[in-house]
Amino acid sequence: MKQIKIGDVIIITISVFIIVASLLLFRSVGGKPVLHVTSSSNTYVFDVSVDRIERFSGPVGTTTVEIKDHKVRVVDSDCRDKVCVAAGWIEKPGQWIICLPNDVFVLIEGKDEMEVDVDDTAF
Amino acid sequence: MTQPSKSVRIEFVALLAAFALFLSTVEYMIPKPLPFMRLGLANLPLMIALGVARNKEYALLSILKVLGQALVTGTLFSYIALFSVVGTFASVAVMLVLYHVGKKQISLIGIGVGGAMASNIAQLVLSYYLLFGDAALLIATPFLAVGLISSLILGIFAHQFVTQSRWYQRYL
Repeated sequence: MKQIKIGDVIIITISVFIIVASLLLFRSVGGKPVLHVTSSSNTYVFDVSVDRIERFSGPVGTTTVEIKDHKVRVVDSDCRDKVCVAAGWIEKPGQWIICLPNDVFVLIEGKDEMEVDVDDTAF
Repeated sequence: MTQPSKSVRIEFVALLAAFALFLSTVEYMIPKPLPFMRLGLANLPLMIALGVARNKEYALLSILKVLGQALVTGTLFSYIALFSVVGTFASVAVMLVLYHVGKKQISLIGIGVGGAMASNIAQLVLSYYLLFGDAALLIATPFLAVGLISSLILGIFAHQFVTQSRWYQRYL
């Protein structure tokens, strides 16, 4: 553009600066992953940065969920096959463990859900 | 060139208001990922009017633009109209200031970008306090970036129009 003037350049530069600043400032907003546990139609929300052990009762007994070092696993469950226990630790947003017999669903939710490997959430 | 008569001036405002109404319709037809992501097509008449309209006429045109846009989108009596009002008046205020302060140094391109940024920031602040809280900040970056790009294009267009349109020269 031949008609562009010095003031335009200044305004556009300031605008770009504001946009970049907004990117840096607000990137972390809402990005903190949280743990959702659904058990017998109740949903519980936990902070994954606080270590704790929780027990959820379902149709066949108790399922024990452990949060440790931002990771989550099912320690023990009263179901037959223990698929949920075998699933081991999960830590990325979008990963989940489910215990079908005992109706317990453990899911980590967060902003970066898309970064999970395709196989984890493909359906 | 003779000073345009009063009826001609009213005609000018009415024409630009009608233009804004038409552009609102066009904009309404374009699918958007988020309802708040507007291209700002309806701001074009406001930019074009800068060099011609007096303050009173300009205020009238801004109100007509907001009303027209709300009528077209059917949001006159909803909170969206509030966003429209706040965004439009923020951009109008900034554009007027930029126009009068930087007559020599700022073209319509810079004025348009400044107005769009003001409008978008005002709307973000409003949505932060009124509706969405932190979630409003998440869309801040794409929202502002889209506004910058679309306002740049519109600004270049407005600049070309103002410098080349013979119809426009009649009102100067």
